[in-house]
Amino acid sequence: MGEVEKLRDIPTINKKIKEGDIVVLTAEEFIELVENEGKVGKVAREVDVITTGTFGVMCSSGAVVNLGHSDPPIKIERAWINDVPVCHPGAAVDLYIGASKMSEIKPFEYGGGHVIEELVKGNEVELRATAYGTDCYPRTQLLTRLTKYDLNQFILLNFRNAYQKYVCAVNSSDETIYTYMGKLYPRIGNATFSGAGALNPLTRDPTYRSIGIGTRIFLGGGVGYVIGEGTQHNPKAGFGTLMVKGDAKKMKPEYIRGAAITGYGTSMFVGLGIPIPIIDMELARSAAKRDEDLITDIVDYGVPRRERPVLGKVSYAELKSGRIVVGEKTVKVSPLSSLPMARKIAMELKKWIEEGEFYLTEPVERLSTDTEYKPMKMVERVVYVGNIVRRAVKCREDESLEEVAERMIKNAVNHIVIVDDEDYLKGIVTSWDVTKAVAEKRRRLKEVIVRNVVTAYPTDTVEEAARRMKKYDISALPVVNMEKKVLGIVTAEDIAKLWGARMR
Amino acid sequence: MRIMVRFKEEMISNPITSEVILEHGVPLNILWAKVESTGGELLLEIPDEKANEIVNSFRLRGVEVLTGRLIDVSEELCVKCGACYSLCPIDAIELRDGDVIFNEDLCIGCGLCVDACPTKAIKLLKVDRTLK
Repeated sequence: MGEVEKLRDIPTINKKIKEGDIVVLTAEEFIELVENEGKVGKVAREVDVITTGTFGVMCSSGAVVNLGHSDPPIKIERAWINDVPVCHPGAAVDLYIGASKMSEIKPFEYGGGHVIEELVKGNEVELRATAYGTDCYPRTQLLTRLTKYDLNQFILLNFRNAYQKYVCAVNSSDETIYTYMGKLYPRIGNATFSGAGALNPLTRDPTYRSIGIGTRIFLGGGVGYVIGEGTQHNPKAGFGTLMVKGDAKKMKPEYIRGAAITGYGTSMFVGLGIPIPIIDMELARSAAKRDEDLITDIVDYGVPRRERPVLGKVSYAELKSGRIVVGEKTVKVSPLSSLPMARKIAMELKKWIEEGEFYLTEPVERLSTDTEYKPMKMVERVVYVGNIVRRAVKCREDESLEEVAERMIKNAVNHIVIVDDEDYLKGIVTSWDVTKAVAEKRRRLKEVIVRNVVTAYPTDTVEEAARRMKKYDISALPVVNMEKKVLGIVTAEDIAKLWGARMR
Repeated sequence: MRIMVRFKEEMISNPITSEVILEHGVPLNILWAKVESTGGELLLEIPDEKANEIVNSFRLRGVEVLTGRLIDVSEELCVKCGACYSLCPIDAIELRDGDVIFNEDLCIGCGLCVDACPTKAIKLLKVDRTLK
């Protein structure tokens, strides 16, 4: 491999910023220019810095606040801000407001992200706290109202932000699901994706040559710093993440927004942008990569397991077009992070640099390129539906209601699964359905069958099966394979027995 | 244009919509309907040139008629994330070079996007239904 052509270093860039003759483009402008020129060389020699931006829901975010001491002083044990439980991980009056922590009064509507947004806005929030009382901190109860101006420190401290890329989510199951990837229609009725593609900071510098510990960034409309790799940093798979901090007192509410994701919980939109110095040709080439070159997986969120099936690959260019092809279907795909806001951040950061308000920094240490991302070590055995499935008592559609009733009594079951000659699922009949049919003087099985059947796969966890029974208010699920052939049945009674035995 | 007509309980058994169609000799496209024993609602597409007469005919029969937008998107709350876009069954929400554009005139008020909005910027107007 030949020597990489060096173009400029950080001190040269900062000198040019100071002298007012720096050349800055947003990542999108840079890519467009390279495309127009046909090659990267000339453009890279002219452009000193490119700016990036992303504005997405980033759950692993939060803020550290220091309240100062009350009189008499308190060593807070439990605390709530606007009814959102906040964590007190340190000494007496240091708190951490987690973005995804939900209000105890309005869960799923209001959470830590909303509290942080209100504080950034300058609004007053209500703090409640309790403590056990010590000789040095005698107070046990506290109620006060605060704004950011009353706090000693209000620091945004996000332990996982700015995913290099993220997957595209679909749902192959038979019901609409509400996930952290948004609302997903059944039978792959739509798709969602996250990330700003070519505007995403880490996609421009995928081996972290210019972004490292100490990199000064745009964070929430103010200035922040990269303080290390983010949690779940997975560089080998192209899923790098960042840990960042910044003075939230100086942030702007437009770039820090509370979010409420139906069925999932609350979180926070974070606006983040990073300047990429075009230090050499290698970085210039990665910075010129287009959305067409950024590929991610289409993942089936209909399977509620850690290893969700991958259904295909897709580029960010296809994702941003609004429609993608999954198998034989063309479906609309929703971005979940805001491209207009990402653009605005990249433009804003460009302006800061051009106007000499923002200088670049040399990372004091580079981010790891070989961190392994491990799954959780488990000590408890997880029980799957396949472990407790029992033989289903079955019937054909053309049998009589009497035969069904007899079979229920003979086998002492409450559920009869209706199948065709090849064991494909056709419906279900419960003892309640039979009783009701008798009361209403209906005689034909066909009129009684429930055809819209909620099912389980043997690979579902028992917990998931229980959650579905509760959701639909039913007491059994036929267990089927992918082709809807009946393998057996799992009942609420079986699950109750299993859990009862475990507790003993 | 689109109108929402709301029938009271005592009107359910009368063929009001058919009467209006016959009276004016125009097609009415039913975009959405919910009829229960306690009343009903229909979302109708009606020809613009006969809109006034048709609205009056419904009103003369005691039917409540709602016109205008069915949805309101708060500019202040919306962050243009686009979570709503793929949920719209009739393409009333567009993605134009990354920007999210609501065509409020096309919206049929189905409400499918409402619970997907992370900043709760979308509100259904005038329409009273339980959405799932």
